[in-house]
Amino acid sequence: MHALAQIPFLAQVATQEEVLQHQYEFLSYGLTAAWVVLAVYVLMMVGRERKLKREIASLKAMLEERQK
Amino acid sequence: MRDKILYLLGAGALAILVWNINTIARLPEETQQGVTFKIIFFHVPMWACAMTAACVALLASVGFLVTRNFRFDAAAVAVTEVGLAFTTAGLITGSIWGREIWGIWWTWDARLTSALVCWLLYAGYLMLRKAIEDPTQRATFAAVFNIFAFIDVPIVVFSIKWWRTQHPQPVFWGGGSFPPDWNLHFMWNMFAMLMLGVVMAAVRLRLEDAQREIDSLRRTAHAL
Repeated sequence: MHALAQIPFLAQVATQEEVLQHQYEFLSYGLTAAWVVLAVYVLMMVGRERKLKREIASLKAMLEERQK
Repeated sequence: MRDKILYLLGAGALAILVWNINTIARLPEETQQGVTFKIIFFHVPMWACAMTAACVALLASVGFLVTRNFRFDAAAVAVTEVGLAFTTAGLITGSIWGREIWGIWWTWDARLTSALVCWLLYAGYLMLRKAIEDPTQRATFAAVFNIFAFIDVPIVVFSIKWWRTQHPQPVFWGGGSFPPDWNLHFMWNMFAMLMLGVVMAAVRLRLEDAQREIDSLRRTAHAL
């Protein structure tokens, strides 16, 4: 550790690299959040589509049965 | 064929967005806000999609009330739901940006509050639809509510012009500007996000068609 960093005030001053690192962290949180929200919505739609297709198939089968 | 075109468009939009993450990361830092500023590349296109969806939902709702054609109702619910997903993502990305730049996750200023009200209104629209059984009544009430909800959209857009807010002024019509190469990536992201929104709305519209088919099959089953 650098001798100057042992002085309390200077130790608190973040280096430029640390600031950059912190900002990249927040940028990645932002991007991840954006993608996760959209991905969850798309997955919900896929799930709903499967459920609806199953329901259509069962209703059609039931109607065919009744018409016989 | 229609499905293939849809999936191709979706894949194209995703490819542009993923490619753009890489190029945006390589752009230089903004003078005041550093790297965090780059959230704008996703935050603004998401809000543009959300506001476009609200406009289309308004037109579809008016279309339903005028013509009583249920295709308009299906279009309104599809775009509203997709718009709500983009609004959610826009609120979250904005909040993350605010935590880093302002030091707080949220503040009750005019832009943020009206945006939250917008989210609540459109979520309320979807809840209202679930609460009404009769399809005609549901479509009519929902269309009226959607038109009412749209009142908030210009307030969200112009709040930063009408009142002094903590939210920054817009880059493009607030006197600011991007460097030309930043502009290009921003526009690509805007285009890709809108394309993604169109694909999502088209897929959601297909679900609505399937739901209507189920309703019709149920009616036939009851009649037999």
